[in-house]
Amino acid sequence: MENTIKVERAILSLTQDDLAKKIGVSRQTINSIEANRYVPSTVLALKLSEVFSKPVNDFFKLSEDD
Amino acid sequence: MEKSKFAECEARGLHKLINFRLPRYCFTLGLTITGLSILAMFVRAFALEGDTEWLKLLLQKTLLVGLLLISIAKDPIEDELIIKLRAQSYTYAFMTGVIYALVMPYVEFGVSNVLKPEGEAFHNLGDFQVLLFMLMVQVLCFNTLKRIR
Repeated sequence: MENTIKVERAILSLTQDDLAKKIGVSRQTINSIEANRYVPSTVLALKLSEVFSKPVNDFFKLSEDD
Repeated sequence: MEKSKFAECEARGLHKLINFRLPRYCFTLGLTITGLSILAMFVRAFALEGDTEWLKLLLQKTLLVGLLLISIAKDPIEDELIIKLRAQSYTYAFMTGVIYALVMPYVEFGVSNVLKPEGEAFHNLGDFQVLLFMLMVQVLCFNTLKRIR
């Protein structure tokens, strides 16, 4: 799974900490998601979608090995 | 009670049990109990005289309680990644605990017979030793996973 959360965050001028607070997780969790070390649950993906005002598909993409 | 309602009730109870965590202050409490227990173990071993076997057994129990409190206390931000890492650490602790309980008695037996000609008789590990090992592995593994997440 690949994602463009870092880009979406930059568009909204949010730091990792700001985004983490908005969706109720730790900054390290956002960092892990951005680095593709952790694939979030549907609930978290939908929370991110709400913050970015975009569908989940726009910032999460399946990679070839998925 | 209907079969489906009974299953629902059972599942709800199980979920409550799975998601059970102690409040954060229990972590500090656990650390304090663990630290004091270890300190008291040293005092008992080197400073106290007479029959203190009861104290040794008591301190073993308090040490286990302290580590258990550390193990099941909530993290400051208990999010889904933390829950996943915690589950991984319990899995790892369980696996290593079983291997430890199976292998360690033979290692102890082998080492004692190599070092001393008369050696020690073969004996299995006690519950304290296995539980202490598992709790220590869980706590260390969880903190390592948290650090590299």
